[in-house]
Amino acid sequence: MYGRKGSELVKELTCAEPGQLLAFNDDLFSQVIEECTGHLHNLAPLIRKIEELKKLEEMKVQNNQQLEESDKQALKAHNSGALIHHLSLLRNKRCLMTYLYNRAEIIRKLGWTVDKVALPEEIETKLSSSEKEYFKNHGATLQSYISELDLELAVDMVPPKDPLIKVRVLEEIGNVALSDQSAHLACQAIVFLKRTDAEQYIAQGSMEELTG
Amino acid sequence: MDSGLGEGSSGYSTMDDYESLISTTDAELLKRAWRNEKAAPQILRYEAALVQRSREQIKLMEETVEEFTSSGVDPLTVSLYQMDLDRTLFLLRSYLRVRLQKIEKYMFHIRKTTELWNHLSRAEQNFAERCIEDMEQHMQQSVLSKLPSSYKSHLKQSSSSEEDDMVPEPKLDTYVICRSKKFLGAFQLDDRQFLSIQCHLLSWRMNSFIFLMSMNFWTVLKTLLTLKLMIYTLYLISL
Repeated sequence: MYGRKGSELVKELTCAEPGQLLAFNDDLFSQVIEECTGHLHNLAPLIRKIEELKKLEEMKVQNNQQLEESDKQALKAHNSGALIHHLSLLRNKRCLMTYLYNRAEIIRKLGWTVDKVALPEEIETKLSSSEKEYFKNHGATLQSYISELDLELAVDMVPPKDPLIKVRVLEEIGNVALSDQSAHLACQAIVFLKRTDAEQYIAQGSMEELTG
Repeated sequence: MDSGLGEGSSGYSTMDDYESLISTTDAELLKRAWRNEKAAPQILRYEAALVQRSREQIKLMEETVEEFTSSGVDPLTVSLYQMDLDRTLFLLRSYLRVRLQKIEKYMFHIRKTTELWNHLSRAEQNFAERCIEDMEQHMQQSVLSKLPSSYKSHLKQSSSSEEDDMVPEPKLDTYVICRSKKFLGAFQLDDRQFLSIQCHLLSWRMNSFIFLMSMNFWTVLKTLLTLKLMIYTLYLISL
């Protein structure tokens, strides 16, 4: 059935947890694209036949004649055929674009939550090569806006309740300069830090916030 | 607690004065701009002057906090200032972030609608342009270059479509819940039938919540603005 693969592709989107990515389904994706090419191969000769028949009809009308019954039937059949191929192509295109667009939306969101420079490996393997490039390009776009604005936007994602938050250091970080002091952040240490200082480490996964 | 009616109403008006005084401070204005931006499905006008003022104030506050720290003022005082600073910074950042996320989501729609395009700041316009470039490149590479020539547009389904029929647009048919800032009396909001269902004539009382069935968010918003109604809060619930 035409368009079934396209809908499978879209179904995959809804199967994933909201905000999470499944691996890019390269196989199915290229099959849908192939199906599109197939539609075009069917569509082109049909359109040619329709045009031929229409020309014939015009000529006959000029001579006060009508198309023969069999030609009329054929014109109708070709018209319907062409329409079906055209609509299937459109549907496939919409499915492909939906798949791409919705994934791109999730990829953009990742740019806010994870470290902007490098994606974690388990996420990176799920992206197609074009998506990886998109992630990089979009990150650069965002970064250039932020530097034009001269205000870091990727911190402070939750409303601040306290100037300081309690965090546990998960990886050895060593001596770092924080906004108001320099500190030695040893593995497993529990420290109070300014939220803005801690957020970058939390995003990298080298710290966790302790609540309660 | 047990105040009479007369006292109650006089208390009400001083309350009113106090509220109107508070509501003109930049912090409050920023909060309102942020709330409205968060609630509205469309991108609203960029509050350029407000953002500018807020940033200057933030800078001042930062200097004050630094001065206090170095001159050994009571740490509790400093931390209160710091908290105020953090909150303002959060509001500002979140306001700008919400706008960016809207631009990312509806970039094509915003680009081709002049009214919305003019709502962006210069920097946001640059951002949107680059966003579109990135997205176009991504779509070309993955799908569009592999499709037949008359189906290559990312705005139209095929070259036989007359209008752009593949541009994601925000959903405007939603319930709008507003809270009025002050007593407004009764008036007719719109002569179209969409309000006649439940509230043809509305009585707006202070802090009363009003539910509107809206056909178009924009129409309602514009009506409210032309009536000089200060929109305190604007929540939207999608159906």
